Amino acid sequence: MFGTQSKRDLALEFQSQIPILRPSIHARRANLTVKFQDLYGFTVEGNVDDVNVLNEVRENVRKQGRVWWALEANKGANWYLEPSISEGIALKSSLKFSTLANAITLKRLIRKGIPPLLRPKVWFSLSGAAKKKSTVPESYYNDLSKAVEGKVTPATRQIDHDLPRTFPGHPWLDTPEGHAALRRVLVGYSFRDSDVGYCQGLNYVAALLLLVMKTEEDAFWMLAVLLENVLVNDCYTNNLSGCHVEQRVFKDLLVKKCPRIATHLEALDFDVSLVATEWFLCLFSKSLPSETTLRVWDVLFYEGAKVLFHVALAIFKMKEDELLLTHHVGDVINILQKTTHHLFDPDDLLTVAFDKIGSMTTNTISKQRKKQEPAVMAELDQRLRRLNSLKLDDK
Amino acid sequence: MARPGNKIIQAKLVLLGDMGTGKTSLVLRFVKGQFFENQEPTIGAAFFTQILSLAEATVKFDIWDTAGQERYHSLAPMYYRGAAAAVVVFDIASKDTFIRAKKWVEELQRQGNSNLVMALVANKSDLEPSREVDTEEGEEYAQENGMFYIETSAKTAENINDLFYEIAKRLAKACPSKPSTMNLNNEVQRRRKLFCCFG
Repeated sequence: MFGTQSKRDLALEFQSQIPILRPSIHARRANLTVKFQDLYGFTVEGNVDDVNVLNEVRENVRKQGRVWWALEANKGANWYLEPSISEGIALKSSLKFSTLANAITLKRLIRKGIPPLLRPKVWFSLSGAAKKKSTVPESYYNDLSKAVEGKVTPATRQIDHDLPRTFPGHPWLDTPEGHAALRRVLVGYSFRDSDVGYCQGLNYVAALLLLVMKTEEDAFWMLAVLLENVLVNDCYTNNLSGCHVEQRVFKDLLVKKCPRIATHLEALDFDVSLVATEWFLCLFSKSLPSETTLRVWDVLFYEGAKVLFHVALAIFKMKEDELLLTHHVGDVINILQKTTHHLFDPDDLLTVAFDKIGSMTTNTISKQRKKQEPAVMAELDQRLRRLNSLKLDDK
Repeated sequence: MARPGNKIIQAKLVLLGDMGTGKTSLVLRFVKGQFFENQEPTIGAAFFTQILSLAEATVKFDIWDTAGQERYHSLAPMYYRGAAAAVVVFDIASKDTFIRAKKWVEELQRQGNSNLVMALVANKSDLEPSREVDTEEGEEYAQENGMFYIETSAKTAENINDLFYEIAKRLAKACPSKPSTMNLNNEVQRRRKLFCCFG
């Protein structure tokens, strides 16, 4: 589609043919930092252990694929796309025992990872993107792309500025075709929702969606469902108010779920938003290795935005002992950065996120968001008024 | 590292300025000596540390490099709160970024502490042929607002070290040696959040 597909397919095929990297004995002895390409073509730097972990992850991905194929053979093709299962209705009110059982199986299965080959289909259906697309004429995306071609707005200027800066060096994203596809998705969306327009951070999210989904059009619909249904409202609009709300909710959750860390960081005068803002706005795509990010997204698209809290809390929880020994803000940040960059094994993170954090229902989180909204609005309003008073003084 | 008897200053430094003016590139050049033509946009903020040793003091910088897009400005107070130094960056080849820089200066004057060391940085001096902001204009504005002005290029490394050395010097001057010994009682710790010296 759009003449961009073949090259990307080639790139992906090429990656799958790269032999498993076997660290040489020399490298192991020297404990060198090695550069290698991960499952989605990103160049990563790590040590020999990281390479080994990544090889194990590749093997696990294959194993998980076999589990999915076996279930498909057993339950019928596309069993997981049946609406009552995919929309999570069955989990709330079971209609039939088999439907409920399937829904439970699916939830567990998704937390263990969707095989990369099935991701486009499963994400598209489970996230609600397919449903969203079905409510407009078939030609919506093509029409939109054509209608906005050549138009210049502040958003398009910013998008153009960021295209070569989005995952530079990636074998497909950083090519003229990659830039053009990313541009069409981002520009198209900026016209679909002019309140969002273009927000930095979406470039990374859309780029990763393009890599996963088979077509540019599907990537566009995934972006739409993400911003319009999956995430909290106004995460990316003019003053990022939704993002401010999420940060406040996150701080409260940290106090509740990791009280010792929260107390220690408070004593250091460390505001967790300093690091967590990027996590929430880029949906971890800028901090976690690609397969780990996509595993988070697997669950995000099925279980909703509360997953981001699970994962963010897990990152802190995993390093509790180390964090409690810090005396300085810089040390805290270094620990968190080192941790996220080296989380090559998605199960390490997701096990903590879902087994050690304890359950949080979407309902409780919605209530907490409601509670925080007025404070956020007041704060943003106060700031706006202060800035406006600066302008009046100028006159 | 610290010389014996030399005072140590822990200073928070924040970089502000429009998107694409080269804030991250300035810091990367200073901290790691690197430059990338296509530097990824910063989301939220990025954190770096660097220590500078002067004759009069050793300055430990905690550097907060912030996101430039306008909507991210609502996050800025979190990053400039308690800063000892602020670097406001614009691109010499874009008048718009200079206008935005002025807005940052105004906001900092209202919000930051009165001892805040402020630098106005005209970056991308390698783009001389497409210059839109004259040196005199920048200098004059900086002078009027009690800042120092410097033209840099993260690409060629021109004046990057000078910028941070100048800030370090000013911080050292603003933070005179105290006869008291290193006594980390609560009082000092509270002050540490702003910036502290102990000798």
